[in-house]
Formats: sequence, structure tokens, C-alpha cells
Amino acid sequence: MTAGDGGGARREPPRGGERPARAMPEDDEEVAAADREPASDETPTPSAARGERRISWQKWTFMPSFLVLALLATWLWFRGARLDSIAHQAVDNGKVGLALRQHIGLTAVSTFFVLVIAIPLGIALTRARLRRLTPFAMAVANLGQAVPALGLLVLLVVWLGIGARSAITGMVIYAVLPVLANTIAGLRGIDPTLTEAARGIGMSPMGVLGRVELPLAVPLILAGVRTALVLNVGTATLATFGGGGGLGDLISAGIITQRMPVLILGSVLTVALALLVEWLASLAELLLRPRGLEVAA
Amino acid sequence: MSFWEYVGSRHTQLLTDTYQHASAVFQCMVIATVLGVAVGVATYRTEWAGALATTATATILTIPSLALIGLLIPIVGLGVAPTVIALTLYGLLPVVRNAIVGLRGVDPALVDAAKGIGMSRAARLFRVELPLAWPPILTGIRVSTQMLMGIAAIAAFASGPGLGNEIFRGIASLGSANSLNQVLSGTLGIAVLALLFDAAYVLIGRLTIPRGIRA
Repeated sequence: MTAGDGGGARREPPRGGERPARAMPEDDEEVAAADREPASDETPTPSAARGERRISWQKWTFMPSFLVLALLATWLWFRGARLDSIAHQAVDNGKVGLALRQHIGLTAVSTFFVLVIAIPLGIALTRARLRRLTPFAMAVANLGQAVPALGLLVLLVVWLGIGARSAITGMVIYAVLPVLANTIAGLRGIDPTLTEAARGIGMSPMGVLGRVELPLAVPLILAGVRTALVLNVGTATLATFGGGGGLGDLISAGIITQRMPVLILGSVLTVALALLVEWLASLAELLLRPRGLEVAA
Repeated sequence: MSFWEYVGSRHTQLLTDTYQHASAVFQCMVIATVLGVAVGVATYRTEWAGALATTATATILTIPSLALIGLLIPIVGLGVAPTVIALTLYGLLPVVRNAIVGLRGVDPALVDAAKGIGMSRAARLFRVELPLAWPPILTGIRVSTQMLMGIAAIAAFASGPGLGNEIFRGIASLGSANSLNQVLSGTLGIAVLALLFDAAYVLIGRLTIPRGIRA
């Protein structure tokens, strides 16, 4: 919604402008990356260690300290706020913790399904046999982006009934498209001379995919994972409208009953969770990038 | 009642909602474009300012729209105000980012040449740099608009205008004969609007992108 609601397409152009440049360094370097790939696959630790050094301490500390301060301030304020019985009803008996857990659960489950569906589908759609379908899939992905997340979610609630399952289904459908588009763009953006070279030295199609194409597409796929996570944290707030739970429960209860403390608590927690997830995903993106693709930054 | 019967019998309501939805998104997008390009122009020449603008906008983009609207309600109340603020804020982000990328992508040799023939700073900006950076900015506007279509639907929960109201009416009457029709008409209406806007942007691109740099 973020913005989540708006999705991945909105992030496409800037990414399109910026990523390919980063993902495609000098040709020589890419070949080197492909050659070294198996080694870096088996030993992720050195790569992680190098990654840690690459991330500045500001990046490590700024976001967590900001979140801790913001949450602390909200908590102190909330303890001092006067709650009437209606507000108490919305937050007592561990309802806040429950909403938070539900929200994380919704996000995690839907992101898992998004990745399990979108990445294999993206790989399949870039194989020679199905390549003709790629423009079609991209067109569907773009069209799908025009459907509002809220409408999609509620339609599924009407069809599948109230509950977390229809919310998760809607979130998955909504986030699959950008991740799929990212994966396809990543795999198609690979210099064809590299795959040709890999075939030339006698690699099987699976070998080319696993040892050349996927490692080279890792930055874009990771960007897709991050997109999916951020989108899903946002879309999960809408689950409340279909009885799916999550932090949206607090926000909507706050709006409907006009209890500002409840509304603010729910909103601040949602914002904090979204920023935290974004931060973690961006760290993961830096740490998991194959060593050969590290561009001196 | 079938979907088309429903649309036929409620067409006045639906048209009003559609018009309000389109007009809210359009107006907020105009404000967002002006502000976004201004921020881009102000920050693209310094490394840290550009990075700050990009990071700040990306951070706001991460915030779920329902939460942002929730935070705005205690400050500005329900209704049009939180809707306009939230829509403008979200609409800014892709525009700012693409404006910075676009302005930085202008070939320095061209700017030098413009300086060489005696163009002032403002003339260089308006007659050389911005026209050259226009295609990525327009892409940013397209992306923003599509995103705002969905966010405007959510803003209806804070008593905002537009087709989101149709969706929320459907939720409120879940299980009744018309709830599916209501949700469906709201959702499809927004999707159609989004596609129409997108087509309009393609047309605007044809008309406004300088002939020399058309792909």
C-alpha cells in the first residue's frame, strides 16, 4: 500500500532506470561472477562478512534507533492517554499483541506464497518454449496493477467468505504481479552472450539456469522479494475489512468509534512494522547479493 | 439483480462517484507533479540533497496508506482533507525520484552548449534540462496516478470522496443481494479509470515529448 496498495509497478521505472546499470557491470566482471558463483553459493559467510563491512554504520543504526524512539514515545503517550471503556475494549486483553501477531502472520504467509508462485513462474516464462507468452504475462501484470487492492480483497471476501484465508489470497494475487515482472525483467536483462558462452562450454540448460542466469538475476529477484514484503505489510492492513485481523483492526476500530488513542496506536505500530520490514529487506538485499556482482560502491 | 441491471439503476450515483474519484486523483496529481518537479529541481544538483529527497520519499512510500490516513485524521479530521494530503504525498514520490534521475541523466555537454550560446540558468532549466527529463517524469506521473487510484479507494474509509464508497457500501451490506454488485462496480470502475488515465498519459507523451528525443 503503500503505498502498499499501489504496488510494484509504481516502483518499476525508477528501478528500471537504476537497477540494470547496477546489475550489469563490465562484461568481464560478469563472466568472473558466473565462474565464481558456485563457490559463493557454498560459502555464503564470507560474502555476508564482506557485506557487513559494505553497509555503513549509519544504515545499521539509524532506522532501528528511530523506530525505538518513535515506539517509546508512542507508548509513553499512550500510557498517559485517558481511555474510556470503548477504547479499553479495543486494546485490552492483549488485543494489540494479537493484531500485531496476525499482521506479521498475514505478511509472512502471503509473501511465502508470492515467492513460491512468482519466481518459478518467472523462470518458466523466460524459457525458450514459453518465451512467446512473456509479453502476454507482462500485459496481464500491468493490467492487474490497475485493480485496486481494496476492491480485490473485498471481492474475494464476497466470494470466499470472511476470514484470513480470503485476505491472504487477495494479498498473494496482488503481490505476485510485481514480483513476477521483476523476475522476468531480471532474467531477460542478462547479456545473451553470457548464456551463450555457458552453453558453449557445454553446460546443460539446467546448469545455465542455475549457475549463470539465476545468480545474475539475484539482485532483481531480491528487489522483488522486498517489493512483495513491503506491499504485503501494507495490504495486510486491509484484511480487517474482510475479517482477516491484523493491525488494520485497531485503525478501523479507532476511526469507527472515533477513539483517537486507538487510531494512533494502530497507525504508529503499522508504520513502524512497515519501516522495520523495509529495513530488514534492504539489509538482506545487500547481504545476499552474489559476491561477483558487488559493484564498488 | 444482475450486475448490469444494478449499474443501470444506480448510474447517477456511480457516475458521481466516478467523477469525484477521477477529479480527486487528477487534482492531487497536478499538485504532486508541481511539487515533485520543484523538489527534483531543487535537489538534483547536490549529491546529498538528492539522496535525502529520494530516501525520504521512498520511506513515505513504505508507509501503508491506511496507517498514514489514520495518522492524519487526528490532525486534520475526516473527509476531504486527509484524502487530499495522503494522495498528494504518495503522488509526490515517484515524481520526485524520476525527476532527479531524469535531470541527472541530461548530458552535461548539452547543458554546457546551452550555457555557451548564452542561455541563462532559468532558460537552461526550462528549455533544455526539463524537456529532456520530461519522459522519465511523465513515467513517474503515470505510476503515481495508478497508485493513487487504489489509495483513493482506501481514503473513502476516512469519509473521502469517490468509488471507494461503493466498495465500503458493499462491505457494510455483506451478504445482501447487492453487496457483490456494489463491490464489483466500485472495483471495476477504479480499474477502468486507471486504464483511461494511462491511455491519456500515452497520448500526452506523444504530444509533449520533444520530437528530437522520442524513442
